[in-house]
Amino acid sequence: MLLEARDITKAFGSFKAVDDASVTLEQGDILGLIGPNGAGKSTFFNCLTGDLKTTSGRVLLEGRDITDVTPELRAGLGLARTFQVPQTFEGMTVLENVMIGAFLRTAHRKEAETKARAVLERVGMSRLADAPARSLGTPGRKRLEIARALATEPKVLLLDEAMAGLNAHEVKLAIDLVREIHRSGITLVIVEHIMEVIMSLASRVMVFHQGKEIARGSPREVTSNPAVIEAYLGKRAAKAAAGRTPAELMGGPDL
Amino acid sequence: MRRLIWLSVVAAIAIAYPLLLSSPFQQRLGALVLLYAIAASAWNIVGGYAGQVSVGHVVFFGCGAYAAMGSYAKFGLSPLFGVPGGIVIAVGLAAIIGVPTLRLSGHYFSMATIAVAETMRLIVTNTDWLGAAVGLSGPTVPRNIFDLSFLSSLPYYYLFLVILAVTLFITWWMTNSRMGFYLRAIKDSERAARSLGAPASRTKLYAYMLSAAFTSVAGALYAMMFGFVDPESGLGILISVKILIMAALGGAGLLFGPLVGAAILVPLEEISNSWLGGRGAGLTFVLYGAIIVLIARFQPGGLLSLFTRRRKPTSDTGASHAP
Ligand SMILES: Nc1ncnc2c1ncn2[C@@H]1O[C@H](COP(=O)(O)OP(=O)(O)OP(=O)(O)O)[C@@H](O)[C@H]1O
Ligand SMILES: [Mg+2]
Repeated sequence: MLLEARDITKAFGSFKAVDDASVTLEQGDILGLIGPNGAGKSTFFNCLTGDLKTTSGRVLLEGRDITDVTPELRAGLGLARTFQVPQTFEGMTVLENVMIGAFLRTAHRKEAETKARAVLERVGMSRLADAPARSLGTPGRKRLEIARALATEPKVLLLDEAMAGLNAHEVKLAIDLVREIHRSGITLVIVEHIMEVIMSLASRVMVFHQGKEIARGSPREVTSNPAVIEAYLGKRAAKAAAGRTPAELMGGPDL
Repeated sequence: MRRLIWLSVVAAIAIAYPLLLSSPFQQRLGALVLLYAIAASAWNIVGGYAGQVSVGHVVFFGCGAYAAMGSYAKFGLSPLFGVPGGIVIAVGLAAIIGVPTLRLSGHYFSMATIAVAETMRLIVTNTDWLGAAVGLSGPTVPRNIFDLSFLSSLPYYYLFLVILAVTLFITWWMTNSRMGFYLRAIKDSERAARSLGAPASRTKLYAYMLSAAFTSVAGALYAMMFGFVDPESGLGILISVKILIMAALGGAGLLFGPLVGAAILVPLEEISNSWLGGRGAGLTFVLYGAIIVLIARFQPGGLLSLFTRRRKPTSDTGASHAP
């Protein structure tokens, strides 16, 4: 088992944003994490990466308890992430942004630069290497987030809505990139609102609602689960929608 | 290449200045500019590059100044012998202040640094061994060249120039190392930097300690030039503010920003002091207040950033249509 979260609870005051959630991740998985707005996906994510301290529960990476390990050390252990709202280093060039990730595995500037250029090539951003990162639009920033994370040579990559705000064509490109990353041997957790993305990428899906896991299984199983449809659409709409496929209802751009 | 030419020009002007403008006032002014440039460049390491605004940097300045004067006043040694001691104390103090405060948000750090500096000033003012309110003096008549006590400002000028060059070289070297990259990243988004493996607290602490070491050297040089230190000149809050404003005015986070800031502010202050005498001090405060407002309002990047911005690649075209 690569990554395991046991009974994670995260409370802000008396409000439990994540309530007793568990997950296991095997090498080679692509786990999809879905749920309506405010379901607790990002919070759960942040507990896995160490951005937030869990209120209770444990996180294990390759059997090692990392619950109290800092985010920077988790990165060193092979856990990488992107942010839902891109955290671009505005004062740097695109290349320098990626070098920050590359510096995790080497202290030498030249080596970090070589590696960062290779990563930019891989994600198709070489042309922009020397552009100031602040000149990038949303699609560029989302991709840069992935590039930086890849430069840390992760075992597990957690993508928090890496495709939100992209148009249909850009989503297609992003899906191809995620497939390529997966083929290279990296295990993935993806948080996504766009159902098509989950359907075409995830091997397993976990559904959050109000901080709790309400369903898990294959993408097909999950999207035909009445509890899931209800969580997304509400009770009445769910009844009215009976007979149509959930994927249609949950939307996302036409691919 | 263009950078190299600029560098040579600046270096040539710096070396020739006291020979071309050779009145005692001009030489003294030159030495003071360099001295403050050293202090402001040292501040720049943590305040500019790491984005951690220390408002109590004078505490390290005081470590150096008191160590240099103490070495003579207490042990009869050349003030030079106090320099390493001053550095050690300053770096140790930086660690003690930095470990608990640098992991907090920037404001806590800024406030903590003021508190420590003012506390230190009060303690020293009430410590007889350190001369209390009167302070400590250096050698009145130099016993030999190692006392670094000269009547002319010329030797100080060149000594300061060398130390400034060393400070700037090490800063430049740092900015090109992993540490410098990490500092810039942490300044933009500490959370993202940490997620990519940058040990934020430790990196900021190292920058703070490095900065403290150079500030301490500046304090020692100051005391040597003036031949004495007291709580006001060695630990007064105004010095912290001056250092900070010079760096911010010239351009915090830019290698030559603090030098530019010092080259503008020191002459302004010296001239206003010589015109207005003692009353000049009040005017200095007003001037600094006005500069803070102007920087905050119009040019957060400092004066030098006006140039660097223009030279950066301007073509953003296509960048926003990234794949
Ligand atoms: N730092 C915080 N303090 C208090 N409440 C928070 C905090 N962070 C998140 N929350 C709350 O926790 C709940 C879960 O938020 P979270 O960001 O995890 O949802 P999400 O599933 O990622 O939603 P989205 O799809 O909109 O990104 C929300 O109600 C949110 O308001
Ligand atoms: Mg979210």
